[in-house]
Amino acid sequence: MKFRKLSLAVVCLIGCFSLTAESSRAGLNQSDFETLRESLKPDTSESWRQIPWRISLLEGQRVAAAEGKPIFIWAMDGHPLGCT
Amino acid sequence: MLDRASTFADPTIVELLKTKFVPVAIDQAYQRRQKDAEGEFYRKIALQGPRHDFEGSTTQGFYASTNSGKFLFYNNNRGPGGEERLIDELNKALAAAATLRKEVAPIADGKLDKKYNPRSPEGGLVLRAHSKVLHGYDPPKDRFQKIFQEGLGRDNFWITAAEHKALAKGELPESLKLRLVRYHFVDNTRGEPPMWDRDEVRSLAMTLNNGELRGTVSLSTADGKRSYEAEVLGYLESDGEKVTRMDMVVRGLFEGHGTYTKNPPPGKFPLAISFTIADGSDTADAIPPQGSRGWVEGYFE
Repeated sequence: MKFRKLSLAVVCLIGCFSLTAESSRAGLNQSDFETLRESLKPDTSESWRQIPWRISLLEGQRVAAAEGKPIFIWAMDGHPLGCT
Repeated sequence: MLDRASTFADPTIVELLKTKFVPVAIDQAYQRRQKDAEGEFYRKIALQGPRHDFEGSTTQGFYASTNSGKFLFYNNNRGPGGEERLIDELNKALAAAATLRKEVAPIADGKLDKKYNPRSPEGGLVLRAHSKVLHGYDPPKDRFQKIFQEGLGRDNFWITAAEHKALAKGELPESLKLRLVRYHFVDNTRGEPPMWDRDEVRSLAMTLNNGELRGTVSLSTADGKRSYEAEVLGYLESDGEKVTRMDMVVRGLFEGHGTYTKNPPPGKFPLAISFTIADGSDTADAIPPQGSRGWVEGYFE
């Protein structure tokens, strides 16, 4: 009985080791792909996204002239809606 | 990055900008140099504020002006109480603009300064890129540090018409692989990142077989202070003429930082990046890649 339990443990250990080695060789798998894609999805409900930003200052000026509104400019190094 | 989750998370500011102003977001490194009507209008406004060394230094910050370009305020203070100060300035600006209201002519685009008005390649593709540090940070000391630690980096990856055509046929052009890793396998989660020089690409193996894209890449500066060892998995579908799906994920260990991306997690940390086709539904889909800034020809070299 003792011998059978030990054998089972060894088989499991070898199996787990093989699985780890296989995963390492295979690199990213379908499950990783889905998980990462989900965790990197932007939250479209974020407040800053609810503001109707324009990316052309002159287009903004033309709308502001038509609607009689002032202009607010978010000016950054790197684009504020992109890589900054 | 910081403003998205602090200033523009404030409901009063969001409401004021949505209803009372015309909000514009720009990378001022373009407009302060542009030799065209847009550049002139931006410099007219900024010249009335505190930052107007247009060749030498940044003019970044928040500006408000009337629709004719009369300066109303400048603000670049995001510290504690920053939102309250901005609300106060927005309200004062509204009152001032009301007294200055007059008929204003719309300004036409005129001839554009091509250097600072790059457009995505005709017949090409634009992929949205998002990046995230998966874990490894020390506990944040304040809410601003927390914003940086949880931030999602954003950029666009431009693919040429010739590369698009090759992808649709199941080929993976060398030019695309190199541009992808040099300009988009970066940690842009805390600000503007340094890109990779050509000789910092230590190894790059990427293949496309039956619509499955797999790869490994090793990037490192000469001194080894900044590096990224990553794996790539992606799926591509096409109708033979056009790519209809191009989804990729990248995961690996990043180390180091750049001048504007300080305070990464200590040592090597997991950085993931995802790519998907931009459908044009997001205003940000039209923004040029950070790596093309000021020299789009270099980005495509």
